Amino acid sequence: MTRAATEGLSGEGVGLRRVERFPIRRVLLVLVSVITALFVVIGSWKTLTLPAGRGYSAGAWRDFLVLGVAQGAVFALIALGYSLVYGILRMINFAHGEVFMMGAYASYFFAAAYGRSGFLDRSPALALLILFAVAIVVSSSVAVLLERVAYRPLRRAPRLVPLITAIGASLFLQHAALGLFGAQTQGYPRPDALKGSWSILGVPVGRVSALVVLVSAAMVLILSYFVRSTKLGKSMRAAAEDQEIASLMGINVDRVIMLTFAVGGVLAGVAGVLFALRFQFVHYSMGFAPGIAAFTAAVLGGIGSIAGAALGGLALGVLQSIGPALFLSGFNVPSPFQLKDVVTFSVLVLVLIFRPGGILGREEVQKL
Amino acid sequence: MREPRWLARVALVAVLALVGAACAEEAPPGGGGQQGVDCATVEFGCVEVGADEPIKIAALQTLTGDAAALGQDQVYGLRLAIDYLDGSFDGTPGQILGHDVELVEEDEQCTAEGGQAGATRLAADPKLVAVFGTTCSSAALGVADTILGEQGILLISGSNTNPNLTAEGVHNPFYARTAHNDKIQGAVVAEFVYNELGARKAATINDESPYADALAAVFRAVFEALGGEITGFEKVQSTDTEFGPVLTRLAEGRPDVLYYPDFPQVCGLVTAQARDMPAFADAILVGSDGCASKDALDLAGDAAEGWYRSGPDTTGFQGGDFYQNEFLPAYLDQFGVDAALSVFHAHIYDAFNIWKEALEKVAIENDDGSLTIPRMALRDALFQTSGYQGLTGTITCTELGDCATDVVIAIFQAPGWPELDPKAEPVYTDTKSLQEVAEQYGV
Amino acid sequence: MSGARLREGARAGLIGGAVFVFLGMVGMIANFAGLSLVGSQVTLGLVLMLLPALIAAATAARPRVEAGEVRRLPTPAAAATGIAAGAVTGAVVAAALLVVEVVTVERIRSVFVSVSPTLVGIVAFHRTWAVAAAIHVAGGAVLGAAGGAYRSLAPDVRRPVAVGLGTVLVLGLLQRLVPTILFELGLRSDWLYSRTTLGLTWPGAGLAFAAGAGGWVIWRRRRRWQPGGPLERLAEGERATRIALGAVVLVGLLALPLLAGSVISEILGLVAVFLLLGLGLNVVVGYAGLLDLGYVAFFAVGAYFTALLTGADIVAVLGTAEPAFSLHLSFYAALPIVILLAAGIGILIGAPVLRLRGDYLAIVTLGFGEIARIVFASEWLQPVAGGAQGLRAVTPAPILGIGFRQPQRFYYLALAACLLAIFVSRRLADSRIGRAWTAMREDEQVAEAMGISTVKYKLLAFAIGGAVGSLGGALFAVKLSTVQPDSFTILVSIVALAIVILGGMGSIPGVVVGALVLMGLPGLLAQFEEFRLLIYGAVLIAVMILRPQGLIPNVRRMRELKEEERLQDAWLRAGEQAGEEPEVAVAGEEARP
Repeated sequence: MTRAATEGLSGEGVGLRRVERFPIRRVLLVLVSVITALFVVIGSWKTLTLPAGRGYSAGAWRDFLVLGVAQGAVFALIALGYSLVYGILRMINFAHGEVFMMGAYASYFFAAAYGRSGFLDRSPALALLILFAVAIVVSSSVAVLLERVAYRPLRRAPRLVPLITAIGASLFLQHAALGLFGAQTQGYPRPDALKGSWSILGVPVGRVSALVVLVSAAMVLILSYFVRSTKLGKSMRAAAEDQEIASLMGINVDRVIMLTFAVGGVLAGVAGVLFALRFQFVHYSMGFAPGIAAFTAAVLGGIGSIAGAALGGLALGVLQSIGPALFLSGFNVPSPFQLKDVVTFSVLVLVLIFRPGGILGREEVQKL
Repeated sequence: MREPRWLARVALVAVLALVGAACAEEAPPGGGGQQGVDCATVEFGCVEVGADEPIKIAALQTLTGDAAALGQDQVYGLRLAIDYLDGSFDGTPGQILGHDVELVEEDEQCTAEGGQAGATRLAADPKLVAVFGTTCSSAALGVADTILGEQGILLISGSNTNPNLTAEGVHNPFYARTAHNDKIQGAVVAEFVYNELGARKAATINDESPYADALAAVFRAVFEALGGEITGFEKVQSTDTEFGPVLTRLAEGRPDVLYYPDFPQVCGLVTAQARDMPAFADAILVGSDGCASKDALDLAGDAAEGWYRSGPDTTGFQGGDFYQNEFLPAYLDQFGVDAALSVFHAHIYDAFNIWKEALEKVAIENDDGSLTIPRMALRDALFQTSGYQGLTGTITCTELGDCATDVVIAIFQAPGWPELDPKAEPVYTDTKSLQEVAEQYGV
Repeated sequence: MSGARLREGARAGLIGGAVFVFLGMVGMIANFAGLSLVGSQVTLGLVLMLLPALIAAATAARPRVEAGEVRRLPTPAAAATGIAAGAVTGAVVAAALLVVEVVTVERIRSVFVSVSPTLVGIVAFHRTWAVAAAIHVAGGAVLGAAGGAYRSLAPDVRRPVAVGLGTVLVLGLLQRLVPTILFELGLRSDWLYSRTTLGLTWPGAGLAFAAGAGGWVIWRRRRRWQPGGPLERLAEGERATRIALGAVVLVGLLALPLLAGSVISEILGLVAVFLLLGLGLNVVVGYAGLLDLGYVAFFAVGAYFTALLTGADIVAVLGTAEPAFSLHLSFYAALPIVILLAAGIGILIGAPVLRLRGDYLAIVTLGFGEIARIVFASEWLQPVAGGAQGLRAVTPAPILGIGFRQPQRFYYLALAACLLAIFVSRRLADSRIGRAWTAMREDEQVAEAMGISTVKYKLLAFAIGGAVGSLGGALFAVKLSTVQPDSFTILVSIVALAIVILGGMGSIPGVVVGALVLMGLPGLLAQFEEFRLLIYGAVLIAVMILRPQGLIPNVRRMRELKEEERLQDAWLRAGEQAGEEPEVAVAGEEARP
C-alpha cells in the first residue's frame, strides 16, 4: 500500500490527529534537511574557497571524478545482482558480496598459474576469457546453491526471515573461504596488456579502469536487452510483478528464481574478475565491503531497476571519491577520507527519507 | 584517580600476602627463608616448583585469525628455545636447574578482548612463572599486562612495538619486550629520508590499527623536528581498496616522501596505486616492517620497484652461523615449514633466554630438589639484563621494559627485500637508543 | 523391504558426503580431532566424521506426511534406506580420498590450505586408500542402518537415547567447567573426567548417558502421572515450587563465581555483556519486529561515554593525555546519563527511518553502526575519543573502594545488570507497550487503525533497545578497562542477532541460552575459536529454516508464527509437530502432477 493510499484512508481523522499529536516526524525531517543542506553548501563553499596552498587544483577534481567513475562501475555491476534478486523476490541477498568473492577467488588460482607460465602475457585476451568463465561458473553455482539451501525453503516466510538467513549465509561463505583458502592476501597478476594507461580526451585513464567501465556498460546493456526481450527475461519480469499469476500463466517460478540467481552470479563473477584485476588481490573478506557499498548503490539508485543500479553505482563511486574532500575539507576536518563511509551512509539515509524508492525507483512504503 | 587505586592494589597484595603467610605457617619450613627471601612477606610472593615438577611458562599469542602466522612463528621460536636448553636442537627439550619447562599455549586473537580472556586464564595458575607474548600490542596494552602484572607474572613480548606499552605512566612493571620500540623505527626512517635522500616534504597514510597509527605519528614528529614539512596525513580503513582519492588529496601538497606503515594489503595497494599517479611516479615510497611480506610485493606488482621499507635488520643475525646453520634447519626439521622471514621467532627466542638467565640468578635451589622463585626478584633481575648477546643483537633492558634498545633498523629497497631475496643487503642501517630519540626529537 | 526409499537415501548420502568433505576441507575435522570427548578414542573430530552418515540416513528415513497422514517406515525399510544413505556418504568420502591419492596432498594444499597430511591421515585412518575406502563404505552402511532404524522407533524409545547421547556430548564439551566446579566443591572429578585427555572417561560417559536417559524417562512419567490440566499446574502449589526453584537458581548464580574460579567467571562476564546486547536487541527485533543491524552503535556509545564521563585517559602516541572532553563522575553517576544518552540516540536514529520498509531499515541501521565505529576511531574526534589508540584506564566502577574489574567481582556487577534488564524486558513484554509491539509486528496497518501510534512505539523500542545495549557497552568498558574502536565492528551486531535468533525471537530464556551457547562455548573450548563465525553463520541459516521459533520459543510469538503458517504455507510445520518433523517440501513435490 502506498503512502498516498494510507493517508487517503485516514483522511477523515486528519483534523483530530493534528490536535492530538505533535508532528515530531515532520519537524525532525525539516530540521534534518535544513541542517544537511546548510552543511553541504557551507562545506562545499569553504572547500572551494580555500587559499591556493590548501585547496584543490582543477586537476585534483578531475582525478576524483575519473577515479569515482571507475570505482562506481564495479559497484554498479555488483549492484545489478542485488537489484535482480530484489526485483523478483523482494529480498536482500546479503550474501551477494560473498558470491562475488568466491568467483574472484576461484579465478585467482587460474590467474596465478597463467601468470607463472607466461600464458597471461602471451595471449591476454584468451586468458582473460578463461578467467571470466571460471569466475562466472563458480559465482553462479554458489548463487544457485545459496538460493536452493538458504532461501527456497523460506519463500513464504515473513520478510525478516530470509534476510536473517542471508546474513548467516554471508558470514558462512566468508569464513568457509577462510577455512578453504587461508587468511593471507593473494596477489592477482595483471597481464602486460592492461598495464599503464590510455589517454582519453587528454585525461590519462588506467587501462584496467577503462576496461572496467567498458565491461560494466556492456553488461548493463546486455542485461537490459535480456530482461526486456528474451523469453526468460520476460518471465522474470512477470514473476517480479506477481508470482502467483505468473505461475498461473505457465511460468515455472522456482526455475525463474533459480535462473535469476544464476544471472546475478554471472554479473558477480564478472565483477569479481574486474575487481581483482583492478586492485590486484584476492582475500576471503574482499566481498564484504564492496557488497555493502553495492547494496547501498542499488538502494540509492532505486532497487529493482537496472538503470537505477547502474546510476546508483556511479553516484556512489563519485560520492565516495569527491564527497569527503568537497564537504569536509572546508571544515578543516583532518583525514576526511577516513569518513567516506559516513558521507555515503548519510546520503543514503537522506535519499531514503525524501525518496524512499531511491533516485529512479517507485515509491513504496510497506510493512516488514 | 590513579594514586588511590595503586594504593588499593598494594593493600590488596599486602592482605593476600598476609593470608599467604597465615597458610604458610602450617607448612613445614621449606627453603623459602634460607637465603634472605621471605616468600611470605615479599611482594607478589614466590613460585614453589616441586622436586619433580616442571617450571611452567606460557605463550600468549595470536593463534587464530589473520595474524595467526605471526603468533605461531613465536610459539615455534619458544619451543626451539626450550629444546636448546640442553645445548642442541635435538628435539628433546632441555632443563633449567634440573627442571623441565612446560609450555602452555593461549590464544589472544589479536584483540583486547582476547588478550583479557587469555591473560585471565593464565593468571589463574599460581605456578605460572612467565608469559611470552603478546603478538599484537592491543592484546597487551592495559589488558594482558595489567592482569598478569597484578599477579606478579612477567609478560615478555617478541613482537609488540607500540610505544605506549613502555611509555612513562602507562608501563606495567612486569612488562618487557625484546621487539624494538617503534619510536626507534620511526626516528630511523625519518632520518633516512631527510638526511640520506634529502626529502623535505612528507605525507603519511595509515589505517585504524594502533600499530600503524603510532608509527606514522612518530615519523611525523621526528620529521618535523628535523626541519621537514608534513604536507598531509590521511587515515584509511584497513578494508579499503581504493586509495586513489586519498592519494589525489595528498598529491596536492607535492610531498617528496610518502610514508605508509601498515599491513601487506594496504601497503601493496597504496604502492600500486601511487605509482600510477603522475604526482607519485617519482616520489619516495616507504613502508614499514608491517609491509614486510611477499604478499605486499605481489600486490604492488611492477610498482614495487624502488619501494623502501624499514624494519629490524635481519641480515645482521641471519648471516650469523648459529642462526643460519643450526636454528633455521632445526625450525624446518621440527615444524615442517621454513621459518618465516620474520624477526619474531628470534625475538621470542632471545626473550626466553634473558628470562632464563634471570631465573638462574634468583631461583633458590632447595635441598629437596625443589625450586623457590621469588617473583619480584625475578622481575628485577630480568630488568637488569645488560649486554646479553642474543640472536638479534645485544640486549639491554631499560627501566620501562624496552630490552631491544640498540636494535639495528635497516631500510631495504625493492626488489632487494629479504622477502624476495634472502641475501638482500639493506641500503641503510642505523641504531639509536630510546634516550637518543627522546633527547634529539623530544619524542 | 517394501517401502525402502533407496533413491532418496542415495540422494541424502550424496549431500552427507559433500558435507563430510566440506568439514574436512575447511579444517574442522583435523582441528577438532584434538578435542577428546570420551576416552582417547572419541574426539569431536570423530563425531564430525560419524554425523554426516547418521544424519543423512535419519533424514532419508524420516516419517513423512502422505495424504494428510504421518507415515512411519517399518524398521527393515528404514534400515535399508539408511544403509543406502550411509554407504553413499562413505563412497563420496572414499572418492574424495582417491582424488587426494591421485593428485597428491601437496598439490591440493596449494589451493585448499586445510587439506593437510594430518587431515588425510585422520580421514583415511592412517591406512592405504583401498582399506580406508572399504572402512568408509562399510562403516557408513552400519551408521546408516543405525540412523535409519533409529527413525523407525517409537518416540518413547528414541527420546531417551537422544537425551542420553546429548548429555554425554554436553558434559564432554563442558570439560573445562564441570571438573573445576567439582574441585571447588571438594569433590573428586577423576571418576568422570580423564586427567590426560581432559574428556570424559568411559565409565563417566556411561553414567552420563544413564543419567540423561533415566532422567528423561522419569521426568516424562512424572508429567504423565500428574493429574489435571494446565489450570491445575498454575495453582498455588505449583507456584510455590516455582518460587523455590527461583530461589535455588538465584543462590546458584550468586555462588557460581566462587565455585567456578576466575577463568569461568571471566567467560561468564563476557556472556553477560553479550546477554545484555541480546536482551536489548530482543526488544527491537523480537518485540517490535524491527531488524536493527547496527546495534553495535549503542554498544560503542555506552563504552565510549562511560569512559569519557568517568575520566579515562587518551592513549596519545607520545604519552597519555586528558581527553578534550572529560568528567570525573563515579561510574554509578555516569551510568544513568549514558543510558539516557543512548536512548536519545536511539530515537534520533529511529526517527528518520521508521517509515522505511524492514529491509531498508536493516541497511540503514547497518550504516549507523558503521558510522559509530568510524567516527569514534576517526582522527577528527581524536582529541576526545582517542582515535585509533582509544581510551585507557577506564574506572573499575568501585563501590566503597572495591573495584569490579577482577572476573569474579565483575560477574556480580554484570549479573545485577542482566537481572535488571531481564526484569525490565519481562515487564515490558507483559505491559500495554508489549501488546502494542505485538500488534504492530503482526500487522502495522491494522495496528495503526486500532489507534496504536506505530511511530511512537517504534521509537520507544529503539530507545529501550539502545538503553540496554549501552548498559552492555558500559560494562564492557569497565571489564576491559580500555576502549578501542576495534571492539565495535559489525560482527558485534551480527553476533547479538545470532544470540536472539538461536534462542528464539522475543523469548528471554531463549536469549539467555543463546548467549550461553554462542559466547560461552567458544570461551570454554579454545578449539571453537577458529570456526566461531562459520558456525554462527550456519546457526543463523539452520535455525531459520528448521526451527524459526528458536531453541526456547516465546509462547505468544510461536502462536503467531503458527498463525502465519495456517494463513500462508507450511514452512513452519516442522516446528509445530515437535518431534515428528514430517517432510513437507517433498510431499508437496510429489503431490504435483
